[in-house]
Amino acid sequence: MVSEMPGASNIEARLEQAASLREVLAAGFDAFEAIRMAARDCQNRVPALFAAFMTTADAAVDGREALTLAPSLPPAAGAGPGEAVAAGADPGQVADALAALAGMLGDRLGWAASLADLAGDRAACQEAAQAAMRVCQLMAHGDP
Amino acid sequence: VTAVLGEFLGPAGEHIAAAVCFRGELPYHAQCGVVRQVDRLLATLSRYLGDLPLPDPFYPARDPQRSAASRAAPARLALGRAARSLRPVIAGAADADTGDAHPVVGHLAAAAGYLAAGRDLLQTHFADGPAGPQAPRSYWAPVIASGPVTAALLGEIADDTQHLASWIGRLPVRWRMSPSMPTSPLLVLRQAEPWLQLAVTAIHTARCEHHPAPASGLLYAIPVNAPPPRPLSATDEAVADLCARIPVTAERLRHATLHYATRAYRSPPPTSLSWRRDALACAIADHASELILRTLAERAGHASLEPPFAARLHTVADYMAQAWKAWRSVTGQWDIVTTGAPRGTGLTTVAAEIGDLALEAGRLAYRNPDWTPACSDAAVVRDPADLAQSPGGVIAVLAAVHQAADAVSRVAATDQEAVITAAADNRLYVPVRLLSDKYDIPHPYTLAPPTYTQALLTAYDTTVQTASSVTTALDDLAAAIGAPSSLLAATRQARAPAWPQPRQLHDQEQAPQPPLVGAAPGRTEQALRELQIRDPALLLRAAVIDQAARDLVSEAKARADSRSTVTVRTSLLTPVARQIPGLPARTARQDAPRAPQRLRADQAAATTTTPSAASGQNREARAASVSPHSVRASRPPST
Repeated sequence: MVSEMPGASNIEARLEQAASLREVLAAGFDAFEAIRMAARDCQNRVPALFAAFMTTADAAVDGREALTLAPSLPPAAGAGPGEAVAAGADPGQVADALAALAGMLGDRLGWAASLADLAGDRAACQEAAQAAMRVCQLMAHGDP
Repeated sequence: VTAVLGEFLGPAGEHIAAAVCFRGELPYHAQCGVVRQVDRLLATLSRYLGDLPLPDPFYPARDPQRSAASRAAPARLALGRAARSLRPVIAGAADADTGDAHPVVGHLAAAAGYLAAGRDLLQTHFADGPAGPQAPRSYWAPVIASGPVTAALLGEIADDTQHLASWIGRLPVRWRMSPSMPTSPLLVLRQAEPWLQLAVTAIHTARCEHHPAPASGLLYAIPVNAPPPRPLSATDEAVADLCARIPVTAERLRHATLHYATRAYRSPPPTSLSWRRDALACAIADHASELILRTLAERAGHASLEPPFAARLHTVADYMAQAWKAWRSVTGQWDIVTTGAPRGTGLTTVAAEIGDLALEAGRLAYRNPDWTPACSDAAVVRDPADLAQSPGGVIAVLAAVHQAADAVSRVAATDQEAVITAAADNRLYVPVRLLSDKYDIPHPYTLAPPTYTQALLTAYDTTVQTASSVTTALDDLAAAIGAPSSLLAATRQARAPAWPQPRQLHDQEQAPQPPLVGAAPGRTEQALRELQIRDPALLLRAAVIDQAARDLVSEAKARADSRSTVTVRTSLLTPVARQIPGLPARTARQDAPRAPQRLRADQAAATTTTPSAASGQNREARAASVSPHSVRASRPPST
């Protein structure tokens, strides 16, 4: 079974506290998954933002797929991605929160790429960082 | 701008009409030029006839094929005899001044050039290849081979031939020979005239016997088989610009889907990244199209259009809503399912360009002319009066939506077929990290469990069905109001075969056809000539009989050769078969009853015709070959 939307977890905190390549990769994977789920949750709420949230979910899948192939990605620890935004937030707030999370994610992945010794890890981080930047661009200024 | 057949057939007819209007006296050199250009025209018209997929009168059950030269034998033979009668002048004027400067010669030369170019245009839709001679290579090919279009082309050929014949019959013939020329060119032309009349009769007969009402509009609209150039990206485009741009993008996507479907067998398979991109763009394009249709419906109420038209727009919008929801479901499935690694095969052409369609549809739907999917570009939908200022504007916008929907439906069918193949080939995976803890697999991906594969294929089934509903409804609506996109509906209708097409008769393969025009008189015709028979009608009947005899002998010879080849192969195989251990067991296995599941899969594969018609069968059969027990045993695509 694919993980259902679990209880609250602080994905931003995990990203901030990640001190090694393996930790960034694991937190990054979960962050992309959290972004995807949040975008899917919002895509039907405001017609004007349908394309934005759909495209964001797609970009999040791109980033997650890139990290899936990183040789140093550790096995799943069972924590799950957690929620990217607080329950009950309106689509504009969700977009702002996702833009902020994606911005941080892109920065951390860029940093992780500089740490990577393996070409596969480096390429995965760079590709995932680009996906995070796309999410950031798509979600910025989310008021319809 | 894509060239269409009408740009060649139309001017050809006009030049012939201009030439036959000439009532004066032709100078000698112009007479030679006329003969030469008429010869060119006859050769080209004969080639057109040779291309037509006319039914075989002796084997009506056999599928009509292009280049089946014997089908149009009477007309082609008549044209050939007419051309033969011109040869003394052609040979004598080979190096002479042929009066090209004379207006009549110029018009005839131009007509011959246009007709030849038109035939070249038609030829771009067919090619010899592994699928056989003159195999279709465009989505227009079935339209070109359809009954209504064939009837229209026969009508064009008959009209051109009739004009020439009538004019030649009226030319004043002077019996005074030129000192340098033993035969008067006009006299020679006169000898060709009865043959031309017979050709016209034969063409009309073929048309009346085999074909439904001609579709001249469709014939003239046949485009050259080449994708139009990709429009340059632009900003701040007006509604009219977007309505002109969307059909170009849609046409490029139609070409790309066909190119993908007919790609080389050994080319690397596409990845889920392409299908995911397609689904995303189609969902956005259809979502925007629904908004456009509802805005149009609102506008139609104020734009002097019939009230039922607005109601029909709402109905199509409802279908469109179902379509984008189906695409949205597909994108949700691709969130999890993937083809895994390697991911470096790149995007398909469709995936690389389908974002253009989403962008254009969005810019047509929303008030922001520089709309993108980004939140920062989000906007409210256009004002109805801004979207369509007049009834003509309503029609133009509806045509753009129709074009986009048609392209999206083709993408749906193509991707569905590709994903069914990927599932059957066990190329669909899921990331292990997204599965529950019971999947303890030390690889990033594992084969997609059957529930995931089934859900994905079901989502595609729904997408193809809803896309088909949208195109059908838009076809009707576009035809009802005479939108330019009603051509799409006409092509879909014309592709239906004009005659019953039962099973293919594989044992009656076509033998190579000898050229007709240059064929020397056969025994029957020779016998008539020895009896001093000069009646062209009798001579043509004799020529047709001789040609039929040649075709029969040729086909019988081909069958005999085929039989002897099989016999030789069998005789070579038999002793070897006895020597190979295990071969008898393999042979015996062929007679053993197959497992029901495998049998169903084979039957489904054999009976599949179109993705939309047989997708359900096909999917079940192929998905059945994906073993649910192979999840743990499967190797990941890459580590």
